[in-house]
Amino acid sequence: MSNTRQSGSSTVWSLVLFATLALFAATLYAIFIYAPVEQQMGIVQKIFYFHVPSAYAMYIGFGVSAVGSAGYLLKRDARWDAVGVAGAEVGTLFCLIVLLTGPLWARKAWGVWWTWDPRLTTTLLAGMIFAAYLALRSMGNAGEVEKRFAAGLALFGLVDLPLIHYSVQRWRGVHPTVITGKGGGLESEMYWALGLSFIAFTGLAVLLIWARASIERQREETAQLRFELMHR
Amino acid sequence: MRALIAAILLGCTMFLTPIAVAETPTDAPDAAARGSEEEAAAQDAAEERAAQFVGVRGPEAESVPGGALLLGAYAIVWLLLFLFLMRMRGLQRQTADELERLSLEIRASGDR
Repeated sequence: MSNTRQSGSSTVWSLVLFATLALFAATLYAIFIYAPVEQQMGIVQKIFYFHVPSAYAMYIGFGVSAVGSAGYLLKRDARWDAVGVAGAEVGTLFCLIVLLTGPLWARKAWGVWWTWDPRLTTTLLAGMIFAAYLALRSMGNAGEVEKRFAAGLALFGLVDLPLIHYSVQRWRGVHPTVITGKGGGLESEMYWALGLSFIAFTGLAVLLIWARASIERQREETAQLRFELMHR
Repeated sequence: MRALIAAILLGCTMFLTPIAVAETPTDAPDAAARGSEEEAAAQDAAEERAAQFVGVRGPEAESVPGGALLLGAYAIVWLLLFLFLMRMRGLQRQTADELERLSLEIRASGDR
């Protein structure tokens, strides 16, 4: 039964992997060949097609981490904890991508690398909360107290996600709002490129969380086995 | 008759000369003045260059290369993803080594 489930899981994994790879190839074509160069900003606007889906993948990662953490706090099951760790790591990876690619675009568009815009500030805050989560978890073999404290931190970080999303609508800032709120929208070719990129990044985030959770689960089982051997 | 013609010519000359003098462009003094102004400006600019450095401000003042920024952004994305995959590979190898060590321990304790 377990072998059948494992085989099915492996097939799904391979399907998602190949679909994501194909989507990334299509996305790169759409970004650099199909979508036109933006009139005002020029070629640097094409950062947008990776920057925005990365922010979306960051939401997925942090959201999954919060769900896993809540599950762990409720059930004290190591599988939920593994999901929490995987989500936090993948979310932080994409947060880092967002925080590094954004300034490269901003330098051209705004003339500065960084400004304390509400969206930028709340994104940085989320990154710092989940970096603290990972720092806490990386202190040797995390015990029960560290795991619970980190889970609480992930739930606290979850509160920041709606703040990031609605900050451009609620507070005055300089961050573009082309696809949210009252934005002017995009040309149809640009929508296609962005849409493909969204799907590709979703697949990538799912694959990375899946792989990282699986590794974390194996690490946990290995630690458990070592503990049992030592106390036999 | 000759005296009359000479008197008319003299009169015309005396009458026209002030007008001609008034209408003659005074290039020489102006050019001299301009020259001294340029010299002074060059001297000021030289003094300014020597005295201070002024940084460019805003996108209009400096042309930012969009292509290089775009390339940098995409390089960052792929580099971070690669580093994350390498980290996962490292963790997986660490776990595999630990499992190998534990299985050897179990086998050794079974033999005893």
